Amino acid sequence: MGRILIRKFLETFGFVLFITFISFLFIRMAPGDPVLTILNVDELSVSQEQVEALREEMGFNQPLLVQYGQWLLDFVRLDFGQSYVTGQPVMKMIMGGLPATLELTGGALVIMLLIALPLGSLSALYRNSWIDQVSRLLSIIGAAIPSFWLGLILIDLFGVRLGWLPTMGRDGWISLLLPSLTLGLAISSVYVRLLRSSLLDSMGQEFVRAARARGYSEARIFWVHALRHSLPPVITVFGVSLGSLIGGVVVVEVLFAYPGIGKLVVDSIRQRDYPLIQGYILVMAALVFVVNTLVDLSYRYLNPEMKLKERKAG
Amino acid sequence: MGLAVLLLAVMMLGACSSPSSSAKEQGKHVSFLYNFSTNSLDPHVDSSYVPIRAGITETLVRLDEDNLTVAPWLAESWEGTDGQNWKIHLRDDVTFHNGKPLTGDSVKASLERAMKESVAVKNALKIKSIQAEGNTLQIVTNQPFPEFISELVNPNTSIIDVTETDIVNKPVGTGPFQLASFTPGSKLEVKRYDSYWDGASPLDGVTFAFNEDANARSLALRSGQVDIVYRPEVESLDTLDAEPGIKVESTSTFRVHQLTMNMERPALQDVNVRRAMDALIDRQKIVDTILLGHGEAATGPFLPSLPFAPTYEPSPMGADAAVDYLQQAGYSLVNGQMQKDGKPLQLTLLTYPARADLPLIAQVFQSDAKKIGVGVEIRQIDTPEDYMAANRDWDLATYSNLTAPRGDAGYYLNATYHPDGALNFSGAEDPKLTAIIDQLNRTVQPEKRGVLAEKAADYVHENVINSFVLHPSTIVAYNEEKVKNWVTTRSEYYMITNKLDVM
Repeated sequence: MGRILIRKFLETFGFVLFITFISFLFIRMAPGDPVLTILNVDELSVSQEQVEALREEMGFNQPLLVQYGQWLLDFVRLDFGQSYVTGQPVMKMIMGGLPATLELTGGALVIMLLIALPLGSLSALYRNSWIDQVSRLLSIIGAAIPSFWLGLILIDLFGVRLGWLPTMGRDGWISLLLPSLTLGLAISSVYVRLLRSSLLDSMGQEFVRAARARGYSEARIFWVHALRHSLPPVITVFGVSLGSLIGGVVVVEVLFAYPGIGKLVVDSIRQRDYPLIQGYILVMAALVFVVNTLVDLSYRYLNPEMKLKERKAG
Repeated sequence: MGLAVLLLAVMMLGACSSPSSSAKEQGKHVSFLYNFSTNSLDPHVDSSYVPIRAGITETLVRLDEDNLTVAPWLAESWEGTDGQNWKIHLRDDVTFHNGKPLTGDSVKASLERAMKESVAVKNALKIKSIQAEGNTLQIVTNQPFPEFISELVNPNTSIIDVTETDIVNKPVGTGPFQLASFTPGSKLEVKRYDSYWDGASPLDGVTFAFNEDANARSLALRSGQVDIVYRPEVESLDTLDAEPGIKVESTSTFRVHQLTMNMERPALQDVNVRRAMDALIDRQKIVDTILLGHGEAATGPFLPSLPFAPTYEPSPMGADAAVDYLQQAGYSLVNGQMQKDGKPLQLTLLTYPARADLPLIAQVFQSDAKKIGVGVEIRQIDTPEDYMAANRDWDLATYSNLTAPRGDAGYYLNATYHPDGALNFSGAEDPKLTAIIDQLNRTVQPEKRGVLAEKAADYVHENVINSFVLHPSTIVAYNEEKVKNWVTTRSEYYMITNKLDVM
């Protein structure tokens, strides 16, 4: 177990370095740099000389590899730099927004589970019945509705017409409801279908037949054997898509003025705020690593076969 | 499953740690919703200018919204006849929110911090030295710099007490409101500063919240969560206006949407071709259809209400006038195409999505040009300034510019028409125009500066170095049954003031 973790960590470290390098290259090759933003050319008189001088001073005229080397050197010293736009330390800005984004992702997950577990299970248990048809229809609708539109509809309904819920900001769990619902509804459709097909697959397995032969109740067969066996594929997909889920909350963050990092990074890309972009990518890579490790570990719990195989091999 | 529980736990923790809502709604209170968000309240760095807009900080001078001239604020008066040695007299009745008096030394320290923290401010002020004596400041600029005082309108030169420790989250200024709490990226709460020098506000507090989605802002007003929204969704303004108790207000700004002409391209070197392009822009149609009337057709770069905006003689406009100009330039219509020496007139027009109106203006122009046989190819770019400076393979570009943000023409004329300016994308290098701008840069007296600015604007207009489409409006919607004395300013610098009140 410890060896696995260490190996995984080293792998990830190499991978993170690779990602930071690639992202560094891509973002610097994109046209533009933050010099004009820093000088606020939209409102302040600036001469071309001043633009060039700042570009030189900030090292944007140096070869890319030299610039990356400099970033790497700072990174090794755990110095992630300061935002060009706000002058604040990058890590402080990211850590300021991360809890809000995690809250939002967590809230969306709860909503997703509340929808996907019952609906997915029922559609599998009562295959091709009316409930399966309804869940299929809902999944298609859920996948087709853009989240900004769904969000506006929810705001109009719960904020304007009913006046039950706040539609903006981050003031305790009540302000988390609408954004979580928006995001959760949007992602649940995939998982409903995934859980259904995975469950159907498990229900046809031999161990289910064996369990039936032993005379276990259908409920026990479902909860203890089939459901547990059908979770790994669902969790795999989840682990892979969590990164994009966190990245994709930006629409919901903007709509509900929820101060997370999605918004922060989109702005930083627009303004070519390089240190912030690099810092974000680093944090995201670390987060995805943690989640994927947890996902890997969960297999061992959900599927005892793996533990047995390991023991044999070890 | 375990993961979900973990995330749920994180979520709960987060939810518990945030302050509970609805604690404030007592007393006289206004909720304001702004269209940008910021993570930093550092008045010297934050480019969304929230500290000044929320009434926390003030600058030495301000823009008088009635006359559009520079007016005293924290500075009572100033002298500087040679444009380089300035003497600024401060008010002697001003205190910071922590009770300390405003002095020459505190202003000096604040300006010095602004120049240290922001290279933009340092460039803009061009200050060589500051000396403080009691309530007077002696400032020497690096060079004769007549617009120095107007540059102090810049919100990034706000005066704060720099001895305070957490300027990013809790700046201490001199405005009518002091900061009570700040949630980065979400909102700030301010409360009345009782010893405000210009008369304390009748309000107990203001919530200044951010939401960058226009639809969500409109809905927030309709749901009654906020009382004033800045820039609601334009498409839904009629619905909003029809709602009882909601008032929609719009005011032209100092911004101009323009058509930049690349003077380095052979076709556009002919002034008649440029005149034809200018005549082709159907300004009123663009204002009515794209901005739904919330704008003002522009002839020149400066808002007509500015003292130095020239009055223009109406010149021939429309498709026929454009065809006339093109014929004068030697073009003729062959097989439905405007041609000269067998070569069709084919132009590349740049536009970019960051300002949503611009691509639409480009499309209107393209379709109007097609009607008289001029081919226009639209090219979408991402970062206009960088693209236009680095590539010269385009003819026309939609662009948007503030032309007198601090009540002085110096910024726009220098940046856009001086050969050395950072926004001189048309490549204008006209000795006569440069001479006017250079003379403006040496002239101190405001009236004389106005005359020169007008002369420059006239020259730009006559020679059609760039063409001006419209001045977009700032739109504000508010609950008129509750809010009293709201003023939509043209500078957009001053929003929450000590006059704002509730019914």
